[in-house]
Amino acid sequence: MTRSKGPFKADNPWRRIGWSLAAGLVLVSAVLGFLVLSREQQNGPPLSPWAAICAGLGFTSSTRAADEPQPPLRTPTRIAWTHETFSRISGGNTERGEFVAINCTACHGENGVSSSGLYPNLAGMKAEFIYKQLDDFRAGKRMWGAMNGIAQALSSDASADVAAYFANRTKANDSHAADNDGEYDSAKRLVNIGDPARGIAACSSCHGPNAYKLGAPSLQGQQPDYIERQLAAFAQGVRQNDINEQMRTIARQLKPEEMRDIAEYYGGGRPGQLAKQ
Amino acid sequence: MHKSSRLALYHFWVAFGLFVPAVLLGAWQMWMRSPSPAPLHDRPDIYYASVTLHGTIMAYVLTTFFAMGFGYAVAATSLGRPIRGTKAAWIGFWICLVGTLMAAVTVLSGNASVLYTFYPPLLASPWYYVGAFLLIGGSMIWVVLMSINMNGWKRDNPGQPVPLAMFATTATAYLWAWAAIGVLLELSCILIPRAFGWTNLIDAALGRTLFSITLHAIVYFWLMPAYIAFYTLVPQAAGGRLYSDTMGRLTFIMFLVFSLPVGMHHLLADPEHGSGFKFVQSFLTSLVVLPTLVTVFSISASLEIAGRHRGGRGRLGWIRKLPWDQPMVLAVGLSLVMLGLGGFGGIINMSYAMNSMIHNTSWVTAHFHLIFGGAVVIMYFAIAYEMWPRITGKALRSPRLARWQLWLWFLGMMIVTIPWHITGLMGQPRRIATFDYDISTVAPMGPWVIASVIGGFVLLLSALLLLVILFRSQLGKRVLAAPMQYALAVNPPKHVPVSLNGFAVWNSIVLALMIAAYGYPIGQFFFLKAHKVPAIEVTSQSVPAQELK
Repeated sequence: MTRSKGPFKADNPWRRIGWSLAAGLVLVSAVLGFLVLSREQQNGPPLSPWAAICAGLGFTSSTRAADEPQPPLRTPTRIAWTHETFSRISGGNTERGEFVAINCTACHGENGVSSSGLYPNLAGMKAEFIYKQLDDFRAGKRMWGAMNGIAQALSSDASADVAAYFANRTKANDSHAADNDGEYDSAKRLVNIGDPARGIAACSSCHGPNAYKLGAPSLQGQQPDYIERQLAAFAQGVRQNDINEQMRTIARQLKPEEMRDIAEYYGGGRPGQLAKQ
Repeated sequence: MHKSSRLALYHFWVAFGLFVPAVLLGAWQMWMRSPSPAPLHDRPDIYYASVTLHGTIMAYVLTTFFAMGFGYAVAATSLGRPIRGTKAAWIGFWICLVGTLMAAVTVLSGNASVLYTFYPPLLASPWYYVGAFLLIGGSMIWVVLMSINMNGWKRDNPGQPVPLAMFATTATAYLWAWAAIGVLLELSCILIPRAFGWTNLIDAALGRTLFSITLHAIVYFWLMPAYIAFYTLVPQAAGGRLYSDTMGRLTFIMFLVFSLPVGMHHLLADPEHGSGFKFVQSFLTSLVVLPTLVTVFSISASLEIAGRHRGGRGRLGWIRKLPWDQPMVLAVGLSLVMLGLGGFGGIINMSYAMNSMIHNTSWVTAHFHLIFGGAVVIMYFAIAYEMWPRITGKALRSPRLARWQLWLWFLGMMIVTIPWHITGLMGQPRRIATFDYDISTVAPMGPWVIASVIGGFVLLLSALLLLVILFRSQLGKRVLAAPMQYALAVNPPKHVPVSLNGFAVWNSIVLALMIAAYGYPIGQFFFLKAHKVPAIEVTSQSVPAQELK
């Protein structure tokens, strides 16, 4: 067979059939794949031809999801433990703070020692902790009617001053809480060892006396009713200003009687008002 | 022994010699996965090494060596003259054998449990990849030799139609050359450089895309010897004639064209490609039913011609008159049953939407064992029984045992794959070493898995019988065997259109289709997307048993 009858001569039917079949099949499958199949969307109207081709090539319009309304960002506090924050707190002046603290004594007591389970003792607390709580009250991150208004009236510098003042006061009852011979066994265990099975860290590893962590208040000698109420508030999500959700996580695991026991253990065994009721 | 006969014989012995241990591995793998405690059942690391070796031998070694040996035998017998380039052929044989041993030793050392499909970013020892490269690359010598032999014959016999057997063998060689491009590129540009530490990252998505070029066409490369036997050996063995020579040529041309631009249906669940090209290639995949149905029709017609020639009457009476005691006829009957069942399952796999029902379940394993392990490999056996007397010069001893062997293989494969299809629909994932049959959703699979283990050992028995038959025949007395005869068509071709006597047009069409189907999907990696990820090195460390629980 000679070259004149070769495959590249137009009158050879198999060559024509082969090429037109191949071209036709590619065309049909491309139209179906890129225009018909890609056009339909699972959620939403069909795409335009150009958008369908792009989708068929693998370009997805991922901008759509970003346009949807997002839930508002919620942060537990505005405070971050940066050098700037520390230098602001350490700039607090105790003399100016004493003047500011006149506003506090009605509830938190002379020298920051409260006489009521409703109000925490402030004397001897770390300045960082007081400063952070004031900012949280100011920003609405922690809610307690009177304190939100008072904190809003305070400037950031005045907060640092009053925090420095109370940090310098001596604690009301610094007697070690653990002297209550066996009465609060479960509390003693939770405070000093925690409950690893439930993922509860030892309270004392942040709140003393074993160690004090930044932003965590010392609890020794604190008002037991106040401690108990805060644990309940964390457990119910009413109080949310713990930066890493650690207090909400732990408090959710505690039974009400454990909260009470811990509070009394830390509070030095002084029965508070709530317990009398 | 004739030079080309020895060439074919050596290839066949490597193929079947490694086939039997690979069947043993397969049987153990099924046992290992089953509720009944198998030896080494607490060693999933050995399971994955075993799956890798089983797949490597079955997919690369058995098939490549068998196709090469069959190709040399067909070239010598159908063209009626000695093969050109026997020296090159022997070089190719040794390159492939060295590659095979290199890969096998690396897998056995536990440093290459990445499965034969490689799965980047999994990373094996470089010697596994080098071995695979030598095996596949070495077979390209065979491709060139088939082309040289066919075209040389055409030059020496101007105007004569190339015998169908040689035409089909050359189509197989071209198909394999096209298919191998993907895996050879993946090995040489991505896996081997990373395995030797010349690169830091691995482009897993590009690697998988390149492998998809190979992954579907390789299946048709495995299938082709079976189809060549359907067209050129079966009608002869049944005592009839081939229904149509032109249908045969068109079938092999269609296999060449439609098996290549379709591999992306193996990536239907992969994220790196858009839906458009996945659909285009799925669509083109479905066209492969054309040559399959043409073949089923031609072979049935050819068998009917034979049956009626032998005195069969009535609508189906000719079926009984066929010489079912001939291994080749028996094998084609059993093969078509498995091809039919497996083919319908395959339509589900290649469908863009239906695939998600059975994706990565044991349904898929069942499908390709039924099609390849069943329909194709049973034809390999029949071809070996047909060829053995011609290439060894010894008669096939115990044809009765050969019939047993074929029946056992068929039954074993059915007992293995029917339960796998069912457990696949129940959601059993494939490539999992151990199952906890105490889990309520897994427990109902237990009896089916046990059944498939029994099938596995039936297959092992059949494979051992094959070795016994081939050995016994080769040790037998030398007899004068009738020369190899290929089926004559009802209307033997006098003049064949040029395009049906060569592959120039069809190779050009394949090139155009490959550019259309793969140009963008591969090109995008070079200018749009970066998918380079750290490799996950597969080490030989075993997992302590207590960590499994």
